[in-house]
Amino acid sequence: MRRRIVITGIGVVTSIGAGREVFWRNLLAGSSGISEIESFSTAGYRTRRGGEVKEFQAEDYVERLNPAGLGRASQFAIAAARLALEDASLSAGALAFEQAGVVVGTTSGEPQFVERFNDHYVKRELMRIGPELAMLYPCHVIAANVASELKFGGVNLMTPSACAAGNYAIAHAFDALRGGRAELMLAGGSDAFSRITFTGFSQLGAVAPERCQPFDRNRRGMIPGEGAGMLALEPLDRALARGARIYAEIAGYGLSCDAHHMTAAHAEGEGAARAMRQALAESDLLPEEVSYISAHGTGTPTNDRLETVAVKRVFDGAAYQIPISSIKSMLGHTMGAASAIEAAVCALAVFHDWIPPTINLETPDPECDLDYVPNQARRRRVEVAMNNAYAFGGANASLILRKRTWN
Amino acid sequence: MQPTQVDEIRSRIKRVISKITNIPAQEIADGASYIEDLGLDSLSALEVVIDVEFEFQFKVPESEVPEVRTVEDTVRLVERHLSFATV
Amino acid sequence: MELKSRKVVITGAGVVSSLGDSPGALHSALCAGRSGARPIESFSAEGVGCPMGAAVEDFVPQSYLGDRNLRPLNRIAQLTAAAAQLALESSGWSDAMRREREVGLALGAMFCSVKTIAEFDRRALTAGPAYASPMDFANTVISAAAGQAAIWHNLRGVNSTIATGAASGLQAIAYAADLIRSGRATALLAGGAEEICFESVFGFYRAGLLCGSDPSSRGRANGHATFYSGYDKEGRHNGADHRDAGHFPIPFDARRNGFVLGEGAALLMLEDARTAAARGARALAEVRGHGGGFDCSRGWDTGHAVAAITRAMRQAMDDARLLPDEIDCLSASANGGVAGDRHEALAIEAVFGQREEPLPSTAIKSMLGEMLGASGGLQAVAMLETMRDGRLPGIRGLEQFDKDFPRHAISVCRQWRQLQRPRHALLNAVGFDGHCCSLALTARAEEF
Repeated sequence: MRRRIVITGIGVVTSIGAGREVFWRNLLAGSSGISEIESFSTAGYRTRRGGEVKEFQAEDYVERLNPAGLGRASQFAIAAARLALEDASLSAGALAFEQAGVVVGTTSGEPQFVERFNDHYVKRELMRIGPELAMLYPCHVIAANVASELKFGGVNLMTPSACAAGNYAIAHAFDALRGGRAELMLAGGSDAFSRITFTGFSQLGAVAPERCQPFDRNRRGMIPGEGAGMLALEPLDRALARGARIYAEIAGYGLSCDAHHMTAAHAEGEGAARAMRQALAESDLLPEEVSYISAHGTGTPTNDRLETVAVKRVFDGAAYQIPISSIKSMLGHTMGAASAIEAAVCALAVFHDWIPPTINLETPDPECDLDYVPNQARRRRVEVAMNNAYAFGGANASLILRKRTWN
Repeated sequence: MQPTQVDEIRSRIKRVISKITNIPAQEIADGASYIEDLGLDSLSALEVVIDVEFEFQFKVPESEVPEVRTVEDTVRLVERHLSFATV
Repeated sequence: MELKSRKVVITGAGVVSSLGDSPGALHSALCAGRSGARPIESFSAEGVGCPMGAAVEDFVPQSYLGDRNLRPLNRIAQLTAAAAQLALESSGWSDAMRREREVGLALGAMFCSVKTIAEFDRRALTAGPAYASPMDFANTVISAAAGQAAIWHNLRGVNSTIATGAASGLQAIAYAADLIRSGRATALLAGGAEEICFESVFGFYRAGLLCGSDPSSRGRANGHATFYSGYDKEGRHNGADHRDAGHFPIPFDARRNGFVLGEGAALLMLEDARTAAARGARALAEVRGHGGGFDCSRGWDTGHAVAAITRAMRQAMDDARLLPDEIDCLSASANGGVAGDRHEALAIEAVFGQREEPLPSTAIKSMLGEMLGASGGLQAVAMLETMRDGRLPGIRGLEQFDKDFPRHAISVCRQWRQLQRPRHALLNAVGFDGHCCSLALTARAEEF
């Protein structure tokens, strides 16, 4: 009998609010976190908008470490981790510290340190550069910073699988708990806005100028964003023993690789379909038992079309009965945090029986003809939620959450 | 534009392509299409466009990028840009 | 720990390193005490002089990967794909087999390519963002090398990148082993890769962690700027010959003063023992167990640091169902770092100090340098060779011990030694930021 693993705490830092309650309220209201970019000058770029997190004060969340010595992604991750622990009614010292672990996904690590390095490098000011590139930039510092802040001495890992990283982190935490390597895991993802990421997606021609419009016929692309999402995961028996609120249970996951192209998905959605099928098989569920799909839905012409193909491949006719929405319409693409925040949304959907909308959906696209929950959140019983994420390099990750059942 | 100028443009473009594909410049046919003939994936084809932009210091309007499919398309594009630039 | 019924075996290995691109060549070089470290020539910069590095010299990716265009792959992706090619050949996983079945990849990397991300940004800064390279951007993500290798070799199983600093490679092997044990996968390449570049060398030298750095900055992980005296063109430091002990890493030695950066890629083919047997594959060894721990003091507090490494080793042995007396040899993570090596030695003492005989140990980073994400994979490949012929490499340059070095618990020496049929081995990986991982390997008997 494998141990059952549940989500007991949710912490998020997003462009539409920090903390589960504010975030969920704004999400269901269809709020957009997209705004004019302020963290660097957009002169010389084709577009000016992004999903930056405004008014975030690291000092509000970082107690033990010095916030000034932390990169932004670490600050977000610590904030989301503390919020998740608080939400779970757990204190950092609640268990033996080697039983508590941290796994975080990311795309870029702490790119601001590369940017600062280069700012000096191009001015031939090498002597003004410190050790940041070796000691503060590499992504493992994010999980290390969360664990040092909370004094968690157990499992500690980064799963930097780019745009699917959050799902990978939650999957690994799930396995670590089931394997008895931990009794509490904080798992999720974090990424900070950077000129590097913004430049890169601009150069791929993938960025929309004004709004992110997943599945809309006139969609122009994604909008880079930032943020963090962390979930507190525990074995069911522990959660019950301490009377914790249980948002959802993790039913299973599937991982696959297209092995096809670095930045574009497989034309027939073959790899994505395999990941979904594996997740369903592990969860012992039929496709038609899924109540809601949180799409990767970046808003690029290609992704949304191919994702629709992949979903139909797995769900067949049932695809038309399953609401599928993309919260990237509101937050933009938060990179490594995306699938973690989306997993949190799935847990909340299962808990509250509400489904968030895909906003900015005005003109249907004949190639994207599923029910994308256009513009209005929907009240509906959510037994099972599937969270899909697809990354550079063709990595596909599907995670399934379900209402905690009594048997 | 003088034919020799066009030849020069063509050979500079072929040098850019050669760097990205590892195919010697002299083996790249004038009419070669990036994806079908030279076997580039879409990312490499995009890299060719951007490196050509960098080489000649101009930007292809976004709407025209998908229409740049062959070496010859690229030569025409650069020719057009340089002609406008000298007017 | 849950009882596990599936055994994980190693059916092949591929390596590209500063000491050779086959397990045999690597093993010969290590046993001969050869070092891969020399003054780096592929880059230089004002203020850094001519630092030492254990680079993979004369790397010709085409010789492993054929004639297809390699330009989309940056150096680390090429190293990874080359090691993957060798591991696939070594384990007999043909193209045809990979079309039929999904083989995965779990790659450990610390930076992946800090060089590519820095160059991408620099071009945007100097030429303008409109001319930044989309192809380079695809390689800036930390999972890029794993993605490129999967495309190159049609690896359609789980594709995962693991980053735990210098412990990444060993952690990736542990991660892959667990995927097999839990039934999620039956075949995965696992290990790590890293490339050496100006950006990483500069960062570590500024942290005062490299060999020959200013002693006043030694051991300060988030250190202040230090002044690196720099080497002249002949590789001499302050007039001293570069073969002087101060400029090569000497793990565990009392005179050690830091590490040298290395690069490379090493991948093991891990398989479910039953499916491996069914296809007639030969098992070189079994991944018997693993353990981990995190030091919240990040190496600053000796007690915490030692406790974390101790936890990792004990957990690995529990997972492997082995007693300290049953371990025949140990591959230490020690790389010449002043604090780190000491923490590991004390941890080994805590775990193995009650043995009748000290534990024969080695530290191959004395010759390969600290390869960051690639280290764990290299340690595993080297250990497979030790299991094959019983020769345990020495620690190059080792002469003097600290007063508190636990010689009753750890047996190390400068020369290689012949061990009697080593059956069980423990490998350690200790990162600069508190990550600890230990892996237990068991040599396979002839029969399954």
